[in-house]
Amino acid sequence: MTDKAEIRIPQGSVEDPYAAPARMPSSADRSIRSYDPDDYATPTRRQDDWRFTPVERLEEFFRPFEPSGKTALTVSAMDGGPLDPAQVSVSSVEMGQAPTGTVLKPNDKVSAVEWASNSRAHVIELRGEISRPVLVKVEGGGLELDAIHLVILADERAHADLVVEHGGDARLAEGVEIRTGADSHISTTFIQEWGPTSKEVANHRIHLGAGASLRHSVVTLGGDVVRMRMDQEFGGEGGDLNMLGIYFVDPGQHMEHRTMVVHNHPNCRSRVVYKGALDGPGAHSTWVGNALIRPTAPGTDSYELNRNLVLTPGAVADSEPNLEIENGDIIGAGHASSVGRFEEEELFYLESRGIPEQEARKLVVRGFFGELVEEIGIPAVSGHLMDVIDRRLSKGESEEMKHVLEGN
Amino acid sequence: MSTLEIKDLHVSVETKEGRKQILKGANLTVNSGETHAIMGPNGSGKSTLAYTLAGHPKYLVDSGQALLDGEDILRMTPDERAKAGLFLAMQYPVEVSGVSMTNFLRTAKTEIDGKAPAIRTWSKELGQAMKNLRMDPKFAQRSVNEGFSGGEKKRAEVLQLELLRPKFAILDETDSGLDVDALRVVSEGVNRAKENTALGILMVTHYTRILRYIKPDIVHVFSDGRFVKTGGPELADELEETGYDQYLPEGSDSESALA
Repeated sequence: MTDKAEIRIPQGSVEDPYAAPARMPSSADRSIRSYDPDDYATPTRRQDDWRFTPVERLEEFFRPFEPSGKTALTVSAMDGGPLDPAQVSVSSVEMGQAPTGTVLKPNDKVSAVEWASNSRAHVIELRGEISRPVLVKVEGGGLELDAIHLVILADERAHADLVVEHGGDARLAEGVEIRTGADSHISTTFIQEWGPTSKEVANHRIHLGAGASLRHSVVTLGGDVVRMRMDQEFGGEGGDLNMLGIYFVDPGQHMEHRTMVVHNHPNCRSRVVYKGALDGPGAHSTWVGNALIRPTAPGTDSYELNRNLVLTPGAVADSEPNLEIENGDIIGAGHASSVGRFEEEELFYLESRGIPEQEARKLVVRGFFGELVEEIGIPAVSGHLMDVIDRRLSKGESEEMKHVLEGN
Repeated sequence: MSTLEIKDLHVSVETKEGRKQILKGANLTVNSGETHAIMGPNGSGKSTLAYTLAGHPKYLVDSGQALLDGEDILRMTPDERAKAGLFLAMQYPVEVSGVSMTNFLRTAKTEIDGKAPAIRTWSKELGQAMKNLRMDPKFAQRSVNEGFSGGEKKRAEVLQLELLRPKFAILDETDSGLDVDALRVVSEGVNRAKENTALGILMVTHYTRILRYIKPDIVHVFSDGRFVKTGGPELADELEETGYDQYLPEGSDSESALA
């Protein structure tokens, strides 16, 4: 690291803020950051952060609770082989004790409630070149309210792939802190494949080391309501953040992903690409992509994209990119967002070539997700994802109806 | 030897003004190895006939049958009709984003044949078929019809026709939007398919131009939802001279004279 880059923040008259926009307060300055749940108003649809969320279905997460402790967390190598304890260590600390609370702060009611409700946290430390992907299994222990806090620490120059798999039935508040060291190269993949009546609120807080790269993938395939918020900051120059998301929403389900990318150091790069498919009445997805480029971040290169594929009528996809750019000296700050329908004409075309309707849908949805799934870069995960997507698409009509009836 | 028999076919569509009848008792028999040209003015229902046979959901069959070797294909889903041996080369082939041509073709071939084609022979067959149609091999990796020019789309339709080997092919205005060179390449493909598989062809067209390249055995005039005249190749020459005016129903204007 050198300090040759001089950062000049434009100075201007406070009387005339538009003369120097960088002097204006940014949304991040106005937002509350606190560990105390009482510092936040109870979420309602009138609040900007909650206006797409069915808040009435998440009420149990709005005040601190006694966690059931039934959610099980296990760490192993994905291929079943041994993990080198010198490279991967797992421990548990009391909440409030380092390294908990070292990456940003809670940023909304549910993340503060999660913090306040948990008494202990799981800590996973990654060191050196770890060749086998590390699998963290989070198994729900039923529908009693539970909370879990996970800290992932990657050492300087560490190389590792980590997959966090959520499954079973749960009503879970989850906090995740990720801190990566300088020049590390880490991939984390979070798979949510909950049972149909499960609920989850998750808050990821991410700090990227200088010169480090992080691929942060989110795959949400099951659950009644899943709401995930990802807040991130860079720890120095030259960080590279790649956030990927895939979601598949069934009838009656709500899946929400909110990314908050903050460029606070020079010459960092960020990419956010989220893609979702929605199937059936009442399927609801929300993607909100926030990007903030601070005056301290010249040379920023950022881009965010969200695409939605509505397979059957009656589904709703909300998609909202928000950019706040306080620095004119950047490489780029692009965004794109779309909601498309599965066209009857496409279906007919494929069918007229002998491909049955179910297969035709699979082809199109596989094509839609394919590139992104490959980018996750862990073959075992990619293969599994495609299988799960196929399974979703192969569901019989009656089973689907059963699901709608039981799931709500 | 196969036969496609269209019997007293009545078809309508839903419009803003209510249900509108388009086919009003169409009758036609096509045998393997025969090429039928179906000619007629705009709006006569030629394309409706083509899409109804292929099973497009927009067209509602009111009565009648379409028997392929005795089986009524109108009772089948579109994919079942394709498996029974019917192929529609569309006037406006649909773009399917994210699905590569090669993946699409292999999937279709597997469905039609009931088993996956052997990898070695398949890629050879695909390569040769593309070469015959003067298609750049890169097209195999591109998404189905996405960003293809009008001529490229038509070549891709004929590529499918050659690879899927149907019993009967309906060519819906396959000549439209093609320059002379492309028309020749595409016609050669259709003729090859006929030679190789004794394909029966229903060629829906407005113009006689394509008939110079794909020689019809039988020419029909289609007007106001039914076949109104049938003859040999000389009928096409006659239409070239006189246009469709005499075949239009009473009270129609004569805008649609043969261009």
